[in-house]
Amino acid sequence: MARYILRRIGWTVVLLALVSAVTFVIFYALPSADPAVLRAGRQASPELVAQIRARLGLDDPLVVQYWTYMKDVVLHFDFGFSYQSGESVRAAIVSRLPATISMTVGALVIWLATALPIGVISAIRRRSLLDRVTMTGALLAISAPVYWLALVALYLFASDIGVIPIFDGANTYVGITQDPVQWFASLLLPWLVLAAGFSAFYARLLRANLVEVMGEDYIRTARAKGLPERRVVWRHGVRAAITPIVTVLGLDIGVLLGGSILTESVFNIPGVGRYAYDAIRTADLPAIQGTVLFAAFFIVVANLVVDIAYAFLDPRVRYG
Amino acid sequence: MSSVVPAAVTPPGGDPPAAAGAIAARSPLELFWRRLRADRVALGALIFIGLLVLVAVLAPLVVKLAGAPAPNVRSTDALDPTFGSATGPSADHLFGVDNLGRDVFSRVIYGARVSLEVAILATGSAVVAGVVVGMLAAYHGGWVDTVISRTLDVLLAFPILLLGIGLASACSLGDGCLGLIQPGLGVVVVVIAIATFPYIARIIRGQVLSLREKEFVEAARSLGASDRRIIFRQILPNLVAPIIVYTTLVLPQNILFEAALSFLGVGVQPPQASWGQMISDASAEFEDAWWFMFFPGAALVLTVLAFNLVGEGLEDALHPKARK
Amino acid sequence: MNDLRLRRARRPLPSRPLLLGCVATVALVLGACGGSSSDKKVAAGGFASGLPTDGQKRGGTLKLLGSEGFFHLDPGGSYFQLDYMVTYATQRPLYYFKPDDPKTAVPDLADGPPQVSADNKTVTVKIKSGIRYGTNKKTAITGKEVTAADVKYAFERGLNPSVANGYEGVYFPLVGADKAKGGPISGITTPDAHTIVFKLTKPFGATTARALVMPLTVPVPKSYVAPLDAKQPNPYDAQPERQAFTGPYMISDYKAGKTITLVRNPQWDPKTDFKPAYLDRIEWTIDADPNVAGRQIFSGTGLANADTPTAGAVKRFATRAKDRITFTPLGNRFVGVNTQRKPFSDINVRKAFAAALDRRAMLLARGGPLVGQLATHFLPPTIPGYDEAGGAKGTGADYLANPSGDPAVAAKYMKLAGFPSGKANGEKVVMLGENDSPAKETAQITRDAIASLGFDVSFRLLDQSTLYSKFCGVRTELEKIDVCGFAGWLPDFSDPYAMLTANFYGKSITAVNNSNASLFDDPAVNAAMDKAALIADAGDRAKAWGAIDRRLVDKVAAVPFLFDNVANIASKNVQGVVGQWIASWDLAYTSLK
Repeated sequence: MARYILRRIGWTVVLLALVSAVTFVIFYALPSADPAVLRAGRQASPELVAQIRARLGLDDPLVVQYWTYMKDVVLHFDFGFSYQSGESVRAAIVSRLPATISMTVGALVIWLATALPIGVISAIRRRSLLDRVTMTGALLAISAPVYWLALVALYLFASDIGVIPIFDGANTYVGITQDPVQWFASLLLPWLVLAAGFSAFYARLLRANLVEVMGEDYIRTARAKGLPERRVVWRHGVRAAITPIVTVLGLDIGVLLGGSILTESVFNIPGVGRYAYDAIRTADLPAIQGTVLFAAFFIVVANLVVDIAYAFLDPRVRYG
Repeated sequence: MSSVVPAAVTPPGGDPPAAAGAIAARSPLELFWRRLRADRVALGALIFIGLLVLVAVLAPLVVKLAGAPAPNVRSTDALDPTFGSATGPSADHLFGVDNLGRDVFSRVIYGARVSLEVAILATGSAVVAGVVVGMLAAYHGGWVDTVISRTLDVLLAFPILLLGIGLASACSLGDGCLGLIQPGLGVVVVVIAIATFPYIARIIRGQVLSLREKEFVEAARSLGASDRRIIFRQILPNLVAPIIVYTTLVLPQNILFEAALSFLGVGVQPPQASWGQMISDASAEFEDAWWFMFFPGAALVLTVLAFNLVGEGLEDALHPKARK
Repeated sequence: MNDLRLRRARRPLPSRPLLLGCVATVALVLGACGGSSSDKKVAAGGFASGLPTDGQKRGGTLKLLGSEGFFHLDPGGSYFQLDYMVTYATQRPLYYFKPDDPKTAVPDLADGPPQVSADNKTVTVKIKSGIRYGTNKKTAITGKEVTAADVKYAFERGLNPSVANGYEGVYFPLVGADKAKGGPISGITTPDAHTIVFKLTKPFGATTARALVMPLTVPVPKSYVAPLDAKQPNPYDAQPERQAFTGPYMISDYKAGKTITLVRNPQWDPKTDFKPAYLDRIEWTIDADPNVAGRQIFSGTGLANADTPTAGAVKRFATRAKDRITFTPLGNRFVGVNTQRKPFSDINVRKAFAAALDRRAMLLARGGPLVGQLATHFLPPTIPGYDEAGGAKGTGADYLANPSGDPAVAAKYMKLAGFPSGKANGEKVVMLGENDSPAKETAQITRDAIASLGFDVSFRLLDQSTLYSKFCGVRTELEKIDVCGFAGWLPDFSDPYAMLTANFYGKSITAVNNSNASLFDDPAVNAAMDKAALIADAGDRAKAWGAIDRRLVDKVAAVPFLFDNVANIASKNVQGVVGQWIASWDLAYTSLK
């Protein structure tokens, strides 16, 4: 078991290194703003620009630049400085992390709180009106692009521009330490929008799994033994149906922690996703590297956790 | 969204016993069709998709019949003369105009072309690539499998949207990537294909791995069948079902992916109309000019919904769950 | 000032002296001229005038919302509109334009007008006593008096690569500067602690004296800053809260890309300054969403814009809150096509393009008649030479006669260019544009115009900084592109030299940060510009430059389409005062109600 975990962790590290290498190659090819030119002024001499280039190490071969970068990351946890703003990339990501975490956790709570009951009830009362309505609604929610839902939600419910002003609109986010009440209020609408699609997906997944599980023999046996229905459903049915959900949940959390670009953009929440997107748009290579590595880290770690959890549950996996 | 979790798929094993005489058993294919036909919702969705494809193909005709101007025609007269802003649905413009005076209805119709083209091409390429790579890895095993699996791991570790944006940006300038892929539609198709094929490859690999150990494959091998024969005669047919299911699950996701890329500005380039891009253009003024945010979005929702319904129907028809 | 006027904000800046004797408000656009103190609050059209008024209240915090960051907060490098807003509130240059009088430079740090020698090669300035440096943390120079040597060092460090001033060579041809790279410049001397003498290499004194409003003239104490100038990136720029401040405010906090905060400078002595400095504090958000910011300013309190508001915001204010929006004319906009590359190297093709371009649609895409007037030549209404170049009517060129474009005229010129059918045969034209509104929209309109001539346009949109720093501003890249972004100019101060040379003078073409977008290099025009630069008499100067403007139109150096009006918006309790010379809020004069 320990060997399996070590092997997986080892591979995770290698994976991250490979991801950063691939990122370097892809984004290096981007037509990026020349940071040396950005720092020079109007009618700057080519010598001045060359001087700045040398200082920033921009003329070194790609491999050298990559090596320098990785050394800084591993040894000093230094992700370089943004080409655009000159700010430390690590500081930028860290300062935006709370917003992304806020988004993720809040949406998570809402979607689990809605998906689980709906999924279970729909499965139990299969083919009832409730089931059909919720499942169709869920399908609609999955089919809508999240940014469009966000815009529609803002149009309908935002306090400054909405038809029925209820929730705080875009650009109202403040950190939880600054003003907890405002923090909460500003995140309500983004949470609901972000949770909508996930809730729908999980409700459907849970329903499908539960329906299948409920058809199994051991459920019939449990019923035949005279166990109360509720126990049958929750103790035996849901428990079995929920395992694949936990897997997907882990992966989804991993992805979300890397930043939900689309939702953050529309609501203008200063999270990591927004930062990543701005970085790519302005071809700010160090910022891109940092955010992609950061997001990949969470995805990969989530995978690792899920795999190890499975290894505990299913010994066969360890030797695969 | 997270990676797609396909429903448990089991390959139909063997042929049904042919009863001699009175009752002719239905082949799996016949059963499949019967179930599908009975599912009216899925049928309805299928018809909708058929209509959509028709409209997309015949876009110029549809637009002309509706009396709307071509999608890239800017009519400055339709704009507010004081502020230059867009005007809403009117007699001349069914869905209103956008901020450059272009007819929204027209652009929604033409946008269907982009969405469908990209989704079909990208999904098709992703599936083909995924199947090939997955089979290669699973069938040969050994170091080939290791290299391929690890590469897939690396690709899967990337945040998919960032990867898409990065590739699209990198390949969109001048001569494109490697001089081959031209900016615009081509880039988007390739980007989406690259971003999605690893999922398919992984799953196909898993399928083939389990199939490889099945008795009928062993039997064929012991009879001296060549690898190629085994692949084409034994394995591929058993993959058809999961491939179809997977394709129908991935296609609507890719429609949304293209729209997201266009929304973020790295998809199809203006002035070509794309639903995602129209929503993006609209986001600056949507509280006054709701129409050119709403209609493209509604079109997206309906299209994706239709594909999702068809996908569900197909899945139910192929593998009906126990009905109580 | 640099033309990066893309993406709302990065507007370059410069002054705008109004030689017409009127205050530059939308009054200009609507043809009226206002100005007694009683109607100072409202300009023609019912919009706010943005002028200082009597009885403004002291105190309070103003919150600015912007979505663009700064280029340089170091006064030695400050060269963009947003940079200027901060620099002129926190530092004192030698001369300054009061918000309501953009034509007269008044002494700020200086004590009296500059003295230009008879041979136009020496400029002498005396500086005031009793002006002291304020800092956030106590240092060796806190409270120390500003001396002439500090101004001398400001010029010397401008040539240091870690400061990299963008205009020093253009307006200050100082003796000894060509060899200096941050070290001493022999052409600047300080006979005593309050006198500074500039010796020039050519008779450029009249222009140099006018340029003394630029931020480069802000004093910088050598003992404190020299160690910082040795570092790259320069902390005086990257950590501006460490600067030595002379103005009424100082930067107390700066989070790159997020916020900047200005507070009162305790060392600033109001007795030495004419600025009222009503506000106690200014909090400026740099990462606001532009669409949302407009709405917030509309319905909130204590808010105002930093960058140019979006077209939607302008509309909202112009219809529902006229008294909270000001319009200030500033600069020109034009489409530059590569004149050194086919097909646009042929003047007939350029004329055809000018005729095909729907300039009215460009204006509407930018927000309609409130945000500007159609331009028919390059000198805007507020620069001398405007009338001499044809005023509003223009030069009479047939290819600019119809604001919506004229396909017949376009076809005529295409035929003259050698395309007998009146259209090209699908030759390739490369066009790059910016991917933010409204440049995105105007780029598409331009693309349509070129395509209507029969060319096959390869069209791509990029983000602003990449577009300019990597393509349009780099000569070797620009040579491969036919239409690169959009150009426009804001004069560094109100003079046609500052308005036209950056874009159309042959010698302005540089390898990097090139501002001559059309790569226009006409020997006859260059010679005329050289001659006109030395004219001292105002009337003759205007005539000469007006004639040059006409020539530029005749040769289609570029296609002019707009004389801008810049909008500024504020919440209901803000008494916003606009510095007419840079068309943005003057933070030292703005107050709350």
